[in-house]
Amino acid sequence: MSRFFHTLITVALACLVIACAPLQPEREYVQRDDLKVDPEVRHSLSVTELLQSRLEQPGGGSLLQIQFSVEAFEDTDMEWAVTWFDEAGMVVPGVGEGYREVRILRNQVRFFMATAPHERVVSFQLHLREDR
Amino acid sequence: MMKKLAVVTLTTVLVAACAAPTRYVDPAADTGPVTMTMDYRDFERAADAAVQDLLASGAVDHPGGERYVMVVSRIVNDTMQRIDTDQLVKKIRVALLRSGKVVTTTAVGLDGGEDEMNKAARELRDSEEFDQSTVQQKGTLQAPDLSLSGKIIQRNHQVEDEQQVEYYFQLSLTDLRQGLAIWENETPIIKRGPDDTVAW
Repeated sequence: MSRFFHTLITVALACLVIACAPLQPEREYVQRDDLKVDPEVRHSLSVTELLQSRLEQPGGGSLLQIQFSVEAFEDTDMEWAVTWFDEAGMVVPGVGEGYREVRILRNQVRFFMATAPHERVVSFQLHLREDR
Repeated sequence: MMKKLAVVTLTTVLVAACAAPTRYVDPAADTGPVTMTMDYRDFERAADAAVQDLLASGAVDHPGGERYVMVVSRIVNDTMQRIDTDQLVKKIRVALLRSGKVVTTTAVGLDGGEDEMNKAARELRDSEEFDQSTVQQKGTLQAPDLSLSGKIIQRNHQVEDEQQVEYYFQLSLTDLRQGLAIWENETPIIKRGPDDTVAW
């Protein structure tokens, strides 16, 4: 009987401790997408392909390289940039943070390439936005 | 006289009030107008294109997994602007160092070492004031394997009633063992604008 009360008190205490513990706020993250196209340019162009491969290096390592193509429905001025991430999801800096401006004529398909700045890069995000 | 002074003062105050305030520019969100001269965006673009091409070429990937030692040779400014070519070279150096594939020597240069302290620190060898075990020993400096050289060219053209300015960022990487250029790159940046704008 005394053992039953002992267990009961232990369980009650445990419940109290859990109840009093500070509540961890629930965080909701939006999954990072490889491709982000702003609505301002979505109506005038489409990304027709987005490829990625590892470029083998003479020393045995490899670099992530991407290629994407864009087809325009009308003459479009846009900008693009790639952000690179390592295994932990941390940004791996390249040269500067600027965007590249490009002009795509109607019905033209253009191909663009980018190479990661370090071998530890495993993922990326390509961002297309209107030329400002 | 007083009336004239009042008008001038009022005009000055109005002009000052309408002037854009001084503000910081975020390179990732710079919506400012393009200049006919070379600005930071042009150097960034040229350096980025060069570094990506260089890394992709595999020319700076040491087969043994070690880092190459690079020296910066002459980068000629053949433009009508007074620019410091380090605006281009430093970005390339930083990116190559971060890549883990190349380290730049500051002990050697066409006009002497970039950091003269390499030499000054070795002049302490005979000084009794210094603990000689902490002084740099002979034969510790590393000679460069690679040399980066290049040229920035500017060409101006008249296109109808507009002006076209062409900038060419040309770079070569030489393997100093053989004297061969193992990588070369040219990034053209072309601008067209009103004839009254000045590009020098």
